[in-house]
Amino acid sequence: MSKLSEKIAAFGERHPTLYKSIALSENVLKKTVFKCQGCGQCVLSHNAFTCCMRCPKQIRNGPCGGTRPDGHCEVYPERLCIWWLIHKRAAKLGRVKKLSKFHIPADRRLENTSAWLNMFAGRILPFELGKKSRDVNLTKKDPPSIK
Amino acid sequence: MVSKSNFELLLNQGSFVVCGEMSPPQGADKAPILKKCAYFKDYVDAVNLTDNQTAIVRMSSMMSSVFAMEGGVEPIMQMTCRDRNRLAMQSDLLGAAAAGIKNILCLTGDYMTFGNHPDAKGCFDLDSIQLIHTASELNKGRFLSGDEVKSPPGLFIGGAANPFAEPFEMRIIRLGKKIAAGAQFIQTQPVFDLLRFEKWMAAVRDNGYDQQAHILAGVMPVRSVKALINMRDNVPGSMIPDECIKRMDVVKESKEDSIEVGVAMAVEIIKRLREIPGVKGVHLMPVMWESITPRIVELCDLLPRPVPASGDDAL
Repeated sequence: MSKLSEKIAAFGERHPTLYKSIALSENVLKKTVFKCQGCGQCVLSHNAFTCCMRCPKQIRNGPCGGTRPDGHCEVYPERLCIWWLIHKRAAKLGRVKKLSKFHIPADRRLENTSAWLNMFAGRILPFELGKKSRDVNLTKKDPPSIK
Repeated sequence: MVSKSNFELLLNQGSFVVCGEMSPPQGADKAPILKKCAYFKDYVDAVNLTDNQTAIVRMSSMMSSVFAMEGGVEPIMQMTCRDRNRLAMQSDLLGAAAAGIKNILCLTGDYMTFGNHPDAKGCFDLDSIQLIHTASELNKGRFLSGDEVKSPPGLFIGGAANPFAEPFEMRIIRLGKKIAAGAQFIQTQPVFDLLRFEKWMAAVRDNGYDQQAHILAGVMPVRSVKALINMRDNVPGSMIPDECIKRMDVVKESKEDSIEVGVAMAVEIIKRLREIPGVKGVHLMPVMWESITPRIVELCDLLPRPVPASGDDAL
């Protein structure tokens, strides 16, 4: 991200009340709309706006081998396989190509932090509105010092 | 440089490879492993040692692999992401390589609730593709953290693929991701439905993945119709055509006939798999029936097993 966005993130992280209100509004939106699991490193825009952390195995790189023929999860047969849903929605939105992007292991320190500010700070992949994946080289950065 | 495994050399020289699979014992005695090794030695080129498969606790795949080497069999150590975080997995990979294990198969792992400790906490710190990436980084001399590995392990890295689970398109995408992450060989779930497998292989060839990694098709010999039906109903992501079940169902009264039909079916599948372009070998999965391996390999005219052309590649 740009220098300006990094400054915005740093400002937010310096002010606990501001940080908490940003994190709260993000939570309210994402938890109600996307059933967000709070990993703090959002990949919604890569995965057809469906949260992959809802998978029992929390796989960030596509479905395990146990998806049932009707698209249900092997662990919880009453639920849909989240990656089956992601693929279906991606096909509808023309975003299947984005699913071939490799996602690096999650940074567990970012759990329950604000993904928006993490994105501004350049810790995580940027939001992608386009249908093509961009190559972004992330440099390793420390997690925000407040929670 | 670390020398390459027999298994890798055979694949690289274009031989049609046969792998076996055995599950470690549920106890602290290595004798069962050595006993099973006798069924595989000289009949297959490498044997998978499962890592707490179906989430049932067994002897560790790493130590079982070491015992398999004692038994004269080249091991493919399976590693699942269910039980370990990224620290443990990297240290296990280094330890395995130091013990002489050269082939690994990276899996995400069956969920805990399928096994005998359904109350356990799953780790799933990495997924299988990230594990392949991790192993490939170790080979290049870097830990996940970016720190330097003093002597890189030089592992031959494998991944799994399931051509039979939905959604089909996603299976190809995921295979591509595994290969891009560093998988050098791919073992598939057991093939019963050849039409579906051929469709999958055609898609694999269209993407050129068969040129970038060695594809080994899974084959599971079964000895009773009950096992087949159990698999169809209780193993998600498996596809078993009705004709297979019918064939086994006809002979279900007689144990001997069931075995004969089971063997004949496995042999037929292997013979048809050999004709599919891009299939570099088969991966036999005789679950709890390891003793049948020599007969199947013999009936498929796959004996004697080839020996890698000497030396040159090993340097």
